[in-house]
Amino acid sequence: MTDTPETELLDIPEFDAEGWNEYALEQGWGDGMPLALPTEAAVAKFVAVCRGDNQPFAPVSPRQIVPTLQSLAANAVMAGCKPEYFPVVLAGLRGVLNADYNLHGTLATTHPCAPMVLVSGPIRKTLDINCGSNCFGQGWRANATIGRALQLILLNIGGARPGVMDRATHGSPAKFAYCFGENEEESPWTPYHVRHGFAASDSVVTVMAGEPPHNINDHGSTSGEGLMTTIAGSIAQPGANNIYGKGPYVVVLGPEHAETLHRDSWTIERMQQHLFERARVPVSRVSKENQASYAGSGHVPEDGYYKIAPTPQDIHIVVAGGPGKHSAWIPSFGGTAVISVRVATA
Amino acid sequence: MHIVNPTYGVSAAGGEAVAVKPVDWRADPIVLFSNSKPNARELLEGIRARLGEIRRVDNIEFVHKNSASQPAPAELIEQVAGKYKGALLAIAD
Repeated sequence: MTDTPETELLDIPEFDAEGWNEYALEQGWGDGMPLALPTEAAVAKFVAVCRGDNQPFAPVSPRQIVPTLQSLAANAVMAGCKPEYFPVVLAGLRGVLNADYNLHGTLATTHPCAPMVLVSGPIRKTLDINCGSNCFGQGWRANATIGRALQLILLNIGGARPGVMDRATHGSPAKFAYCFGENEEESPWTPYHVRHGFAASDSVVTVMAGEPPHNINDHGSTSGEGLMTTIAGSIAQPGANNIYGKGPYVVVLGPEHAETLHRDSWTIERMQQHLFERARVPVSRVSKENQASYAGSGHVPEDGYYKIAPTPQDIHIVVAGGPGKHSAWIPSFGGTAVISVRVATA
Repeated sequence: MHIVNPTYGVSAAGGEAVAVKPVDWRADPIVLFSNSKPNARELLEGIRARLGEIRRVDNIEFVHKNSASQPAPAELIEQVAGKYKGALLAIAD
């Protein structure tokens, strides 16, 4: 990042769209894709949506700078958000600023984690957040720009510059934008946010420092037991950070898999317990050197297997996506927590 | 043209600069601080051995975080600041 005058308003040359983008990228303000212009008028529209959300923000790591609503809004404008998306962006920011999320560690790590943003509640429909087919993919403005705005905030306010303070070995496409909605309409279970103490009428953002989704393909199993065998087997892998046994992970069930599991009497709690016990890595798949390393931190196998979640409650299960026999799991950074924040609405 | 600065913020309280006292690296007690990543201890042991060629090492001690992925607890940092004149941090990976 170039030395930017520490003033909230900047006087820059008159640019056309191309000139502005060249300028912004030269300042180090972007993710490589075109940015919208954060004029005072554009930013004011975003700030107006958030009047009443007066809780101060914690300093943003690694730069340890306390942002203003205006500077946060500038990033949401640049990301291409609509003003009404901004409260969701702010809820996501409040989530990653929770100390248990461990923002500094998740930004500075060599691991490819990105802030996964899950949106639950009525605001999904208000903002047209994709909860169905291709919910992790392209094509929905809200998903793309809410996730992107949070990343730009961490870059520009936080200072998480790739290769400098963001030390990811490879990074991942999730670092551009990683936002999706819960498919509450096709879930046979209580919505995620309600299970975690929020009202059904609340809109809630849940964040976790996660890898991109890992697909779980199962077209053959016609029973809940069969599906759980595939899901547990897919999660039990020695190369994810969860192998250290210290962090949470997310399981995203496709609606068709969810329907089969529910038909066969699988509850959320029963799935959590089953995965806690069965999604484990046999010692034979872990190198001798890693076994010694894990033992050094007190992580030892039980009955010949390494557990990869500390407790059943560290396994977070939601329904999202559209038709098809696929689910997904999202490994975490490990030293992080899943944090849910209610979206402040006027 | 005016825009809102997307990097703007105010410094967090407590981030004030502090006067750093000079360290005599050839004599003062120092700590070798491991980030608990693989090979951090080995790296620091190598540094201690090399320091042994130019200074006493019985006042060079090792400290480590409990987790590679979590920050060092404030109590540990306070303890280090109170006991040693300098610290070398290994950021192994």
